[in-house]
Amino acid sequence: MNMKKGIMGRQILFAILSVVLVAIIAFGVNIGCNQTEVLAPNEIREYEGADLSSINDFRENSIKGPQEIDVGSYTLRITGLVTNTTSYTYDEVLNMYQHYKKVVTLDCVEGWSATILWEGLLVKDLLAKVEPLANAEVVIFRAYDGYTTSLPIDYIMDNDILMAYKMNDVDLPPERGFPFQLVAESKWGYKWIKWITEIELSDDIDYRGYWESRGYSNSADLDKSFFGD
Amino acid sequence: MTNQQLVRRSIHWTLTALVIIYLITGLGITEYRIVEPLTLGLLTKSLAQKIHMSIEIPFIVFLILHIWLLPLLKHFRSRKLRNN
Repeated sequence: MNMKKGIMGRQILFAILSVVLVAIIAFGVNIGCNQTEVLAPNEIREYEGADLSSINDFRENSIKGPQEIDVGSYTLRITGLVTNTTSYTYDEVLNMYQHYKKVVTLDCVEGWSATILWEGLLVKDLLAKVEPLANAEVVIFRAYDGYTTSLPIDYIMDNDILMAYKMNDVDLPPERGFPFQLVAESKWGYKWIKWITEIELSDDIDYRGYWESRGYSNSADLDKSFFGD
Repeated sequence: MTNQQLVRRSIHWTLTALVIIYLITGLGITEYRIVEPLTLGLLTKSLAQKIHMSIEIPFIVFLILHIWLLPLLKHFRSRKLRNN
């Protein structure tokens, strides 16, 4: 009698477990169906015959990790030795200036590089609008995470230096510097500031940015050592 | 300890030290956000990179010595014995 009861008990237990298992599976499938799958951005990997690196080929080496910037409250300020100190929203920056595309390779001092199709606006167009004063010598870029770097104003004005909002035809992801990254062509990677929030024009030719004040070259020319002057 | 043993041991220990420094400074470049506070700010990214780059050639030289010293010595010894 007791044995029979035991078998019955086990059968009931198995039945309950089976029902629970089926319910879990059904619930799981249902959850799976409702979940939003994150698809990889549709980046291009070739442009006019040139092979491009992937957005994911970059090493994350920023000073405080990737920054999440709320595009709604974002402003780009242009300050310092300018006639008109200006502040733009993200959309204003995108809508007010001519857009350009260019394939440029970023060379990092860590030894890796990435060739990307950058899309953005020219920094010199931005500066032309605010009318730099005659004594402005240096363009200081500041980022959301506190990172800074600087470049001579002549370098910005004499070259087509982009402030990019797209790479390989997709918007910059947060870890790559959304909303804007500087494409400091022919300069080492630490000049390619991400998450730009302020551009200041200065006459301080001795100004040194974050890495420059920690021993890296201020000129950062690719054809020279990244240590030294 | 013979001279040969002393040389071999010196090479091995120097290479060990170089490997450790090479690894730590390598991490000091790529993982500077961790290494710098761990070393109380002593091993900065730029210092790590300078050390890392300056020990590249000594590292290769000692690695080659470490690999080839024993076979070379054996080779020379056998040649010497053959000549005698």
